[in-house]
Amino acid sequence: MEEFKIGLCPYCGMGCRFYIKTLNGQPIGIEPYPGGVNEGKLCPKGVAAVDFLRHKDRLKKPLKRTENGFVEISWEQAIKEIAEKLLEIREKYGPDTLGFFSSARCSNEENYLLQKIARLLGTNNVDHCARLCHASTVVGLAQTVGAAAQSGSYTDIPKAKVLLIWGYNPSETHPVLMRYILRARDNGAKIIVVDPRKTRTVWFADMHLQLKPGTDIVLANAMMHVIIEERLYDREFIMNRTKGFEKLIAAVQKYTPEYAEEITGVPAKLIREAAITFATAGRGIVMWAMGLTQHVTGAANVKALADLALICGYVGREGTGLFPMRGQNNVQGACDMAALPNVFPGYQKVTDDEKRKHVAEIWGVEDLPSKPGLTIPEMIDAAAKGELKALYIMGENPVMSDPNTKHVIEALKNLELLVVQDIFLTETAELAHYVLPAAAYAEKEGSFTASERRVQWNFKAIEPPGEAKPDWEILTMLGKALGLPKFDYSDVEDITREITLVAPQYRGITPERLKREVMGVQWPCPSEDHPGTPRLHVERFATPDGKANIIPVEFKPPAEEPDEEYPFILTTFRIVGQYHTLTMSNRSESLKKRWSSPYAQISPEDAKKLGIQDGEMIRIVTRRGSYTCRAVVTEDVSEGVIAVPWHWGANILTNDVLDPEAKIPELKVAACRVEKIGGC
Amino acid sequence: MEKKLFINLGRCIACRACEVACEKEHGISFITVYEFRDIAVPLNCRHCEKAPCIEVCPTKAIYRDEDGAVVIDESKCIGCYMCSAVCPYAIPIVDPIKELAVKCDLCAERRKEGRDPLCAAVCPTDAIIYADLNELMEEKRRRKAERIVEAQRKAVETLAYFG
Repeated sequence: MEEFKIGLCPYCGMGCRFYIKTLNGQPIGIEPYPGGVNEGKLCPKGVAAVDFLRHKDRLKKPLKRTENGFVEISWEQAIKEIAEKLLEIREKYGPDTLGFFSSARCSNEENYLLQKIARLLGTNNVDHCARLCHASTVVGLAQTVGAAAQSGSYTDIPKAKVLLIWGYNPSETHPVLMRYILRARDNGAKIIVVDPRKTRTVWFADMHLQLKPGTDIVLANAMMHVIIEERLYDREFIMNRTKGFEKLIAAVQKYTPEYAEEITGVPAKLIREAAITFATAGRGIVMWAMGLTQHVTGAANVKALADLALICGYVGREGTGLFPMRGQNNVQGACDMAALPNVFPGYQKVTDDEKRKHVAEIWGVEDLPSKPGLTIPEMIDAAAKGELKALYIMGENPVMSDPNTKHVIEALKNLELLVVQDIFLTETAELAHYVLPAAAYAEKEGSFTASERRVQWNFKAIEPPGEAKPDWEILTMLGKALGLPKFDYSDVEDITREITLVAPQYRGITPERLKREVMGVQWPCPSEDHPGTPRLHVERFATPDGKANIIPVEFKPPAEEPDEEYPFILTTFRIVGQYHTLTMSNRSESLKKRWSSPYAQISPEDAKKLGIQDGEMIRIVTRRGSYTCRAVVTEDVSEGVIAVPWHWGANILTNDVLDPEAKIPELKVAACRVEKIGGC
Repeated sequence: MEKKLFINLGRCIACRACEVACEKEHGISFITVYEFRDIAVPLNCRHCEKAPCIEVCPTKAIYRDEDGAVVIDESKCIGCYMCSAVCPYAIPIVDPIKELAVKCDLCAERRKEGRDPLCAAVCPTDAIIYADLNELMEEKRRRKAERIVEAQRKAVETLAYFG
């Protein structure tokens, strides 16, 4: 029997709906569902979203590493042994030698449970891959406007008169969002793109500010310099709703467009024109992604963009806003659920005694750990040093996704216990002591939070293969085996209901409501009869005094700059037809054959100097490793810049130096050299 | 008026969702996106009003169906590829299994169920639209007119400001 079940796309953070077409319970295809934020539209990954579900590589039984490789074991044995080992390690070395990687690919309920387990075991060592994408945004926006989330909705985009798209390439990373962006352009909006590469988003831009990687602050400060000099700022908004403008005036004074041209490579005239266009539009939206955040100054970069929007009064009104664009289907939710080492669900600080006591009470314990835990890169370092003994990884693949691959592998091999819970045997799972087979998105229920804070229910369409189980079920079994209080969840809705008690923003977002309202609800939603909040900061900011903080920032160069030995700047990007570490997307034949192999973009000038022809094989070398791929000679990158899609393991090259505030690694800038191998 | 498959070149982001969708529907993709430096062209059968393939087909295997789509009747096709030879866009290709000429049929199966061709249904930016062309153009002209009004108002305001 053929059936259509409402699905929620498992790829990016856009939150697209589709129908999953099933025949006798097996997934056979995708059909447009007109009633979501995507209005029925899909990108190639969305169209191919059922392809990996029944792939032969799916994990179907729990696995245990033995001297003879992996052997299949029963769930009972797996959970019992893992629980015993975790407790044993905690007993022997203390709770802070345990670590947990949660996942922006899993539901709110699953993230909630994993961090709850960590905390009830006595450690705040829980983090997830937002550390590698929007940790800078979380820090930068918390300090400026008080809420680490997209301030407006997608529907604000067509109402804007200017879009400043910074370090972000929606044509490839959120193709469906381009629908809203092109609508803005139809309505007369100007589009300014800031990117070191001429991307497919630049095709639709009025201005392209092609800066040198890692010089974002200089450019933003120079734009603010022009806006202040020309008195184009929103005086009333600054006076009534912000603090700190005077300090900004002083700080950006030296950042003249001419000075900025020297450092960023963007012509002073263009900087001036962009600043004036942005400030005089009347309604503007600033959108950003990894090109801005993955830097040693990531948090400062975000603050600079927040300042830029604030001095123009572009927050809290229709057609305005701060839009950090989320790359995974539940990055926003994983952050909200506190798969982060310093907060409890709903961004309640672990150091806040009152809030901690409140959460402890709901969880049925006296108190919870109050010391902020370690972030992902810190846990990797601690594992390498032997200070972290056990790591539990749910739905992440750090061997491929984290910078400096060799270091990550060494660290993971050093652990006494590595548990990986995933849908495929990833490069990370291959190193595990125990591998637990999880259900994929279409095989389970739960809620996911899209980029615009939209919480949507993920309906189940098919059964998981073999003995694979939803992550929340696995975590419930583990919680019980660990003897943790109140782990008697019988269905996923029990967990959704508990979230409404713990996270204030989710108070009115009940499972019943989510199942009824397919479009979902945008948080904050304080009660069940509240309609949700399409726009933040309308009357006051989420700061203690309700005012936004304008925080001036100074430029600091990237940690690695080109030198004689490594004369090029290496930067990374992503492409539309593949997704992150390839685990899902490369198991679709339709995607794999179209986006088949790694390459590197190199400018015609540099290619000529090195005698490299288009299509020839090259080796890229950094201080951390080397990587072989095909050269694409293109004017889309400037002289001195080498750009690689990171999906095929390019993180062997990237730098694991951290932003001191956000602890995000500088994935977007490294020094490299290029060697010609030849052949095709 | 019947619906046409319209390609709006200024909106294609080269994401190739149409190709993947077409492949899912038909086993092979009858649409191809060609990417150039700052523009992309999704190309498939244009279902021409004066279709040379219909004219040239010696067995009358190619005909126009009730929705205006130019389709090939597989049972009559002899695989001579004269349609490919005369097609101004070089569209009909060889089906690797049947070894007969195949091309876009505007998703005949879907149209029977009242659904749009899949490439148009999924295209995220409306670079491919299945719609009444005259209505589409009317809408586009209206939007252009609105922009003119906006510019005119701005000009009047500016003049008023300068006295």
